[in-house]
Amino acid sequence: MKDLVEYIAKAIVNAPDDVVVTEETGDEGTTLKLQVADDDKGRVIGKQGRVAQAMRTLIRVMAAKQGTRATLEIL
Amino acid sequence: MEVTVVKEGKHGILGLGAEEATVRVQPLTKVPDNMDETAKGVLETLLARMGIDASVEAETKAAVEGGGGASEVVTLDVSGDDLGILIGRRGQTLFSLQYVVRLIVAHETKARVPVVIDVEGYKKRRYEALQALAHRMAEQVKARGRPFTLEPMMAYERRIIHLALADDPDVTTESVGESQARKVVITPREK
Repeated sequence: MKDLVEYIAKAIVNAPDDVVVTEETGDEGTTLKLQVADDDKGRVIGKQGRVAQAMRTLIRVMAAKQGTRATLEIL
Repeated sequence: MEVTVVKEGKHGILGLGAEEATVRVQPLTKVPDNMDETAKGVLETLLARMGIDASVEAETKAAVEGGGGASEVVTLDVSGDDLGILIGRRGQTLFSLQYVVRLIVAHETKARVPVVIDVEGYKKRRYEALQALAHRMAEQVKARGRPFTLEPMMAYERRIIHLALADDPDVTTESVGESQARKVVITPREK
């Protein structure tokens, strides 16, 4: 799941080298934390959170396939 | 957009004798070369990272839009087994996927490209189903003489309903409600 978020984030930001994704697994499933350069924050969130929303939808599909749950946090 | 300078402007002195420049702005109607391959590559990478086994076929087609003038779109057709998961409830996942692909392609190529993704012909089937629904409900509205409200739909789905009934002399359509809950109301036309 980390790979997916990393690929999307790196492909839409201006500073792909500053993209950091960490993955934590707990009782509630997987938590993905996405960190990008300050200037790129808007790009991974999007207008009215559309980009973040789309990423969450795709992560949910992956998680469902693996029989688990996943959440995405943008730091 | 394609911008051509027809006449250079003049600065003048302290704004005196200044002239505005004249430019011609034309909508871009052709998709740049290899765009379909780029878009296909992006979608294939996404699917692979999502662990979904599917094949993608890319094509550049002319899409006729309202208001005259044809433009090109890149269509990506995804096929494979058990792809319902990629469509999601009311096509939500499919639209998220399409949105992400458009973003990545736009960022990579610095061009706005209409990319349309379909999975196992879902959109085509949905289009036909919505048209049939629109006509069936319009008949009911005419028979009962009372407005009817359809369930909430996404913008593109509501558009299909509006267009399906645009030429109907006996009913009018309107979208009401906020964002996720917007729905179409079919009303008998006042005589």
